Amino acid sequence: MKRYILRRVALAIPTLFLVSVIVFALMRFMPGDVATRMVEGHAYAPTLQALRHDLGLDRPVHVQYIEWIKGIALHGDFGRSYWTRQPILEEFVRRFPVTLELAALTILVSVVLGVAIGIVSAVRQDTASDYVGRVLAILALSVPYFGLAVLVVVLPSIYFKWTPVWTYVAFSADPLANLKIMLVPALVFGVTRAGPIMRIMRSALLDVLRQDYIRTAWSKGLGERTIVLRHALKNAMIPVISLIGLQAPLYIGGSVIIESIFRLPGVGLFFFEALTRLDYPVVQSVNLIIAAMVVGLNLLIDLSYAFLDPRIRY
Amino acid sequence: MARRAAFPGFLVLLAVLVAAGPALAQQPKQGGVLRIAEREAPGLDPHISISFLTHSYVSLTYSQLVRFPNGPEQKSPTDFSIMPDLAEKWAVSKDGKIYTFSLRKGVRFHNKPPVNGRELTAEDVKYSLERFMAKSGFRDRFEPVQAIDAVDRYTVRITLKEPYAPFLNHLANPSFCAILPREAEEKFKDFNHPDAVIGTGPFVLKSYEKGVKVVFQRNPSYFMKGLPYLDGAVIEITPDAAARLAVLRAGKAELPHIWGWISPEESRALKQTNPEMSVTPYQVIGQGFIYMRTDRPPFNDVRVRRAVALALDRKGWNDALLFGEGCVDAGPVPCALKDWKLDASKIDPAKAKYLVGHDPAEAKRLLAEAGLAKGFTMPIFHWPGYVVPWRSYYDLAAENLGKVGITVELKPEEYGKYISTTALGKYEGAAMGPSTPFTEVDDFLFGRFYPELPTNQSHVADAELTKMLIAQRREMDPKKRKQIVDDIQRYLADKAYYVYVPQWPQYVAHPPYVKGFKHHDGYGLGMRLLYTWLDK
Repeated sequence: MKRYILRRVALAIPTLFLVSVIVFALMRFMPGDVATRMVEGHAYAPTLQALRHDLGLDRPVHVQYIEWIKGIALHGDFGRSYWTRQPILEEFVRRFPVTLELAALTILVSVVLGVAIGIVSAVRQDTASDYVGRVLAILALSVPYFGLAVLVVVLPSIYFKWTPVWTYVAFSADPLANLKIMLVPALVFGVTRAGPIMRIMRSALLDVLRQDYIRTAWSKGLGERTIVLRHALKNAMIPVISLIGLQAPLYIGGSVIIESIFRLPGVGLFFFEALTRLDYPVVQSVNLIIAAMVVGLNLLIDLSYAFLDPRIRY
Repeated sequence: MARRAAFPGFLVLLAVLVAAGPALAQQPKQGGVLRIAEREAPGLDPHISISFLTHSYVSLTYSQLVRFPNGPEQKSPTDFSIMPDLAEKWAVSKDGKIYTFSLRKGVRFHNKPPVNGRELTAEDVKYSLERFMAKSGFRDRFEPVQAIDAVDRYTVRITLKEPYAPFLNHLANPSFCAILPREAEEKFKDFNHPDAVIGTGPFVLKSYEKGVKVVFQRNPSYFMKGLPYLDGAVIEITPDAAARLAVLRAGKAELPHIWGWISPEESRALKQTNPEMSVTPYQVIGQGFIYMRTDRPPFNDVRVRRAVALALDRKGWNDALLFGEGCVDAGPVPCALKDWKLDASKIDPAKAKYLVGHDPAEAKRLLAEAGLAKGFTMPIFHWPGYVVPWRSYYDLAAENLGKVGITVELKPEEYGKYISTTALGKYEGAAMGPSTPFTEVDDFLFGRFYPELPTNQSHVADAELTKMLIAQRREMDPKKRKQIVDDIQRYLADKAYYVYVPQWPQYVAHPPYVKGFKHHDGYGLGMRLLYTWLDK
């Protein structure tokens, strides 16, 4: 197990290196640059040149990359935002709990909905409840979460003069007020993510329910609840857990839109604003940190298989 | 008997009360907090950031040497007459090169460390303006400034290299010249830290929860006694436009934008769902145009440019897209800049038709005369992301030009590329887009037509025009300057260096209990909130 973990961590280094190069290159080769964006229509040549010099953008691209990556590797310094001049890591750490909470609640909503409907669909295969469950899953898969989010914000305000709670309150300050704020975005995001979970849950459970050991359990006269929840569910959960792992970047990626619509001051909003302003160091660094987290999360998920299925060894 | 005698008196009293009713109702009330839904400003340092959001945010807290009128002081939203702010009065030398400002005495900075409410002096003004000249993205506006001196504790002298008529306007523009205390920069390195936001303005920044809200409180020692009326203002950070309108509808914010703006379409939708809302249209300083490489064929031929101008059915656009509320006569000086605008009706009709007319037959004739009887292909570079109605504008331009034989190839660009290349005149053929809403006519003339400037997007190099552009800048007598500006507009009418498209009004929306909030062009919010009060 130790060797497996070490090998995976060692493999993460070239992965993250590649991510850093790709993100850096993408930002630099995107049309337009941050200095021009900062000066916009007011640009007069000396101003623009001076600004480029101040930001270090007049140096060769490879020198800029080396400077950036050296800061991270040697000093853990992710640099400062070009626009706000604030340290990026500090800002990331301050905002991360919001995104983490949103992701956790979204996973909770999607797993509870997806697993529950998936179980009912599988157990009552080809009945009315199965069809309803499958239609719901297709709906959840087809409706884009950002569209649903805008509808949830706009429609009640038009018809009922109601909108979700807006002013963010930290969990540590007032847990109940915080949950009130997080509830609607987590539901919107969670419902749309529940679709694939439901479908995987249904098919995985159907596979397991056809196994010999389940037949044995039936023949022993065990009740349906015991067979499904105690014997079948744990084994059927492995592809569901993998799916959640695969969806991890989506939870972060989705937070970019959800946070900006629901006014949640998390990493997603930080990233969204940086991207619209072409704030190179912020976009690069946030991407790199998230890539590192996704790599780590995938490792954790791989390790969790051993817990769910004792036959799996590392 | 006594009762009978009292009756006429009662009637008189009643009549007086009825007559005075509306007046009493309009008496501003002290108190209340105004909630504004808006995106987050990229920073708080008014000299480092060029974002209108930054300038609007901190305009609540800072004062300037001079300012524009607001609220009951303003004659129109584009009233850019110069009012005293920190400077009580000023004098300009006869040669227009030396400005001497006398500061108000007893003006105090906000009572926050490290400044702790000390008195503002001429040294603060010198420090701030020099910092602006060193750091701001707008510093080119101060290019003619030679020296800034603190003559004594309450007198500041600014010496220019040459007479420069737009100078006071730039000094009054809330985007540019906030007066800041040196100690805050020494402690915080710049003015981006919320604790460093210390000014002498009407509101004090009380707290800033990043990504959540910015809270401002009334400055109890503001030098304009009895103002502001509000106890405070809160900017609730709301990045999404649909969400901003939703909070207005749901009564969770009073302004859905930092200046209360919504688009014509949104205004109609809002009026349907919330008929009680106050929704007022304003002709704002905006301008859109087609710009062309006038230094290269085919647009170096004035006949081709005139054909482009005559092909556009501006009135049709205005009726179809702007509910007939737009301004068709949109250039070269924007419709809203009334003090400087020379209406097309005051220009020789033979020339004015290139600004406002629509004559496809004449356009075809001009093209044939220019040797392009079979037409030609014209690329139009643009950014598709600009607000409604821009996307329709691009299509309408293509359709109108197609009718006279000019095939338009619409070339959409990514915003960064558009801003860094096309909008700065680096393109081939032609392009289309909006102009920055400047507050000085010089920006729309000198900035747009002086050779080699990046904002001279059509690459105009016209020696006769250049002389007039410099002359209007150096003319210190407003009447004489206006004559030159009029001459420039007459001269430009048939040159078609830029082809202007109709300008739409902007709507200011808020609940009816928000009183005294008047639109004023420019990026400042603080002075607009000075006279705003809540009737509830």
